[in-house]
Amino acid sequence: MDFNLLTAIICLFSINLVHVDASSYEVKQEPPGHVDTGENSMHGPIVDNQDLPTDLQKPYPGKSFGPMGPIERTVSDDIAGRGNDENLKGVVKDGYPVLSSTSSTKPLREYEVLSVEFQRVETPFIIGIWIFFASLAKIGFHMTPKLSKIFPESCLLIVVGVVVGVLLFQADSVHVSPLTPDTFFLYMLPPIILDAGYFMPNRLFFDHLGTILLFAVLGTIFNTLSIGASLWVLGKSGLFRCETPLLDMFLFSALISAVDPVAVLAVFEEIHVNEILYIVVFGESLLNDAVTVVLYHMFETYSEMGPSRITYTDILSGLASFVVVAIGGTIIGVIWGFATGFVTRFTDEVRVIEPIFIFVMAYLAYLNAEIFHMSGILAITFCGITMKNYVEANISHKSHTTVKYTMKMLSSSSETIIFMFLGVATVNNAHVWNTWFVLMTIFFCSVYRIIGVIVLTALANQFRLHKLDKVEKFVMSYGGLRGAVAFALVLLIDPKHVPLQPMFVTTTIAVIYFTVFIQGITIKPLVKILNVKRAEKRKPTMNERIHERIMDHIMAGIEDIVGKHGNYHVRDKFKRFDNKFIRPFLVRDHRGAEPKILETYSKLAMKDALDYIRRNASTIGNISGTESMSAIFRNYSNTGQFNGSPSCSQLESGWNIDLQELEYNPSKRDLTDARIHHLLAEELCKPYKRHRRLSYSRHAVNDRDLSTQVNYKMHMNIRRMMGEHKHRHKRSKKLAKDGKQNHVSFPEFQQNGSTKLFSQDYMNDVLFESENGETGKPNKEDWESAITFTARTSDSGNQETQPSLVRIPQRESEGECFRVTTPTATETMLPWKREDDYDSGKPIQQNEFPAWCSNKEYLAYSSPSATFLGGIEQPKFQSVIGLFRRDSATSPSGIGSQDGEEDSDKSRTLQNEQNYSPLRDSETSRRSPRRGSMMELGSIDSISKEKSNNGSHSLPECWNAQRLRLTPFASSSKKPSLSTALITSSSESSDFEED
Amino acid sequence: MGNRSSLLLREEEIAQIQEATGFTPNQIERLYSRFTSLDRGDCGTLSREDFLRIPELAINPLGERIVNAFFEESGNDRVNFLQFMQVLAHFRPVKKNNPNRLNSRQEKLKFAFKMYDLDNDDLISKDELLAILHMMVGANISEEQLTSIAERTIVEADENGDGMISFEEFCKALERTDVEQKMSIRFLS
Repeated sequence: MDFNLLTAIICLFSINLVHVDASSYEVKQEPPGHVDTGENSMHGPIVDNQDLPTDLQKPYPGKSFGPMGPIERTVSDDIAGRGNDENLKGVVKDGYPVLSSTSSTKPLREYEVLSVEFQRVETPFIIGIWIFFASLAKIGFHMTPKLSKIFPESCLLIVVGVVVGVLLFQADSVHVSPLTPDTFFLYMLPPIILDAGYFMPNRLFFDHLGTILLFAVLGTIFNTLSIGASLWVLGKSGLFRCETPLLDMFLFSALISAVDPVAVLAVFEEIHVNEILYIVVFGESLLNDAVTVVLYHMFETYSEMGPSRITYTDILSGLASFVVVAIGGTIIGVIWGFATGFVTRFTDEVRVIEPIFIFVMAYLAYLNAEIFHMSGILAITFCGITMKNYVEANISHKSHTTVKYTMKMLSSSSETIIFMFLGVATVNNAHVWNTWFVLMTIFFCSVYRIIGVIVLTALANQFRLHKLDKVEKFVMSYGGLRGAVAFALVLLIDPKHVPLQPMFVTTTIAVIYFTVFIQGITIKPLVKILNVKRAEKRKPTMNERIHERIMDHIMAGIEDIVGKHGNYHVRDKFKRFDNKFIRPFLVRDHRGAEPKILETYSKLAMKDALDYIRRNASTIGNISGTESMSAIFRNYSNTGQFNGSPSCSQLESGWNIDLQELEYNPSKRDLTDARIHHLLAEELCKPYKRHRRLSYSRHAVNDRDLSTQVNYKMHMNIRRMMGEHKHRHKRSKKLAKDGKQNHVSFPEFQQNGSTKLFSQDYMNDVLFESENGETGKPNKEDWESAITFTARTSDSGNQETQPSLVRIPQRESEGECFRVTTPTATETMLPWKREDDYDSGKPIQQNEFPAWCSNKEYLAYSSPSATFLGGIEQPKFQSVIGLFRRDSATSPSGIGSQDGEEDSDKSRTLQNEQNYSPLRDSETSRRSPRRGSMMELGSIDSISKEKSNNGSHSLPECWNAQRLRLTPFASSSKKPSLSTALITSSSESSDFEED
Repeated sequence: MGNRSSLLLREEEIAQIQEATGFTPNQIERLYSRFTSLDRGDCGTLSREDFLRIPELAINPLGERIVNAFFEESGNDRVNFLQFMQVLAHFRPVKKNNPNRLNSRQEKLKFAFKMYDLDNDDLISKDELLAILHMMVGANISEEQLTSIAERTIVEADENGDGMISFEEFCKALERTDVEQKMSIRFLS
């Protein structure tokens, strides 16, 4: 076990010691009259019995149960002798009058500068500590990849719980078990079930509802009856050496036969089986709750009444109550779900409270169902399923994120706590171990599960399109895990009526351990060996979304023609009904019949815009302002890959770390980019801050999932405002800068305001170059070879760093405050190191660049002269597609028109490369698009070498390079805010017009 | 085929249909009774009006197109029982051991593709897609939005850059979709 775990455990241990002391005091300090009632008082740290008068506790059934049922407890004698007793005693005594009404009896009171009052915060503090350490333990598992690969998290948590329990036990403390049935059912279970219901794939669930119900209802009843009967028969034969009344056996089998949603979720989320398998097993575990609750209560009541007094009407009313409990729970859930939708319809003024409605109303649904002894699990599940459709359309994007995160957080922490407490609760000395009983229970559980699955799948397959095959049957029967629900239920049994309760508890724990450990651990490798179809998580593409809807319509139509009313027909009917009658009332801004298509579209468009801006900002030459977003995408997608994995070549040319290159961006090109940017800005909302995508772990929620809503107007207004403002501002700067422009050694292209502003570094380079007697054009050949040289040696980092080291002192001597860092060898090797420089350095000029400027393609084709001259030679408004193709394909033929400009571009590039010592990877990749033109310039031999060199890059290598480069980019691109980008672009465009 | 005077199919007709479509005789009988109940004119063939008299189909956004698919097979404005069955045969579930040319994945996709292909040129253009989206989505969405959705969809699937979706591109776009599953009706098995 790793260090984290140990620390967590030790801390937990020590905290609990403190707690025990404190609680001892709590008992001790009670007024004498109350001491005797302390025998029945509670001992779980979580249960807050402090504020309650002791006699009030009795009506709460759960509270009088310890981990192993009701525990007799007297005021313990061993409270003395702990080191901190004296301190605590004094403190508590001081604190006591404050809390109690008897404070007047206290004689003198002095003002205390510092006082400790643990008692007052005890309960919430202990709860907090439990959650904290349970979560720490969870972190610990994920830091030990080996451990978490073999064992499911639930096992590890139980183990930690057991260890803590053993420590507590050894410490001779009272049995503090936090897992009382009440805390479990009222606080821990709802978040998990709500999470499951809210994120339930509705369609999948309802498609397989028949099968799920079959398993949940018939399967559970079958298991209960068969296990109970078998155990009873064996008990008759005397194997268990104890009295085994039939009803007690049925009571036990009712709670032990239910598949547990918590355990199933914990294991199945890790093994990623295909969605049908997942939904069938998980759906069963959710829906069988109603059956379990009914059977449990039925047999509990029967066993309390005694077998002799059961009449047929009791049995019949038991059956009736099943229908009532299940249907009632569902209806309560659905009503609350609709109510939530309705309430959120009016929250557009108070966005911040949107999430609370979802949580509170779902919880109320759960409690509401519990009030009437309906199935709370069903209620909250269906509440989640129902509300999701409408709430999602009403709440804001941010609320959506909040809901998503909060729900995941709550459910995963409750899950953590449940398993941990399960472990803690295991350790005590009240176990009644009956080997045969335990063994036979496990045996029957497994066997009847398998039999049940086989029989019921055979039945279900008669009606299923997708037949469940052997492997799936196996996983279904093997995935029948038992968990905390059974444990909580067995604790609820009253030992007065059922004397075998302690044995049941022990057996339940054994069964849970068996299923969670043995089955939970082996199911992963088994799934692999049996080659179960795995799930693939993906977002639907636009095509899939639309075509699948079309197929639904077709199928509904065909079903109508055939005259049979199947799934599609029902769904079609419901959709129509929903759109016509429900949605208009529950959704604020009801838009059309196919919200899913719109949603997918805006999600995808958002994603594309982000990808596009990041990767390809300047690839497209001239886009007329009227062209739409899709026009851009059309071009973009012409490079081959559209969704997901961009081709290597595209990525290679996609990033630019060498931020200095930006100084060379010509205004014309900027203008185009500005236009693209405007397009993006108008058609979509602003690209929100970029997070470092590739550094996501599986514990993070992908931001891209969250973007659904678009806000055009606001954004446009801001943009206009800022643009106007900046425009004036820029002009003055332009005047001030005019003098400098003379030094630019490329007089053939005119710079305008913004470029000048940004081009300081560049100008200094230029100055430096011209001092050395070098100008752009004449030395073209030199630079050509120099480029090739750099490319060839790009394999060795040393050669590359050399020139830069030489050069930087010179630059500094010029007295300019360059923000150019001297790349050390490490930095060259480890590109992400640079990020630190950018982050910690002064507010850099970089900030003034729009994020979308930092793009590699600038270098490749956006040489200032390239655009400019190209513009002269060709009509400016050529086909965008053509332009794009030429750029992206890097085909020699396409670039022909540009070769005139290429050289000046290269000269600057070279300069830059030497000064800045770019990365090896980016070096090669950056060069690759220019190959074509160089060929035409004649230096074919060297290029062909380079080409082969480039070609040898394997795909993973490129990906790595990409990955490395991404980090610095992400950080740098984050800095220029959108408004800056907008200001820049808009002011540029206006400047240009004036020129 | 469907005999004007009799409601019953002859043995050899059943055999012929079974041969052509893979339906079992039982299913053929069942569907034939459905066919005759749709056939209001009692003439052994169905007209467009006969189809559109089905209330749900009439409000199905694609009802028109689906009905049209039946008539494309026949080439004239009446559909006889064999043609009716041949179209329905597309929606039989795929059986591994019993391949049939009509209910293969390819054919199912073809059927879906034909829904879009209004002008029968084996290409989905932007306008065609837009028209279908119109039928499906209804009036509440702005024209620009629909247009951009259509454009986006085409761009996504378009591989050769002609601004149209060919059948191959269509299949490619639905590569990951369980078409066999989605476009099958259980009771036609």
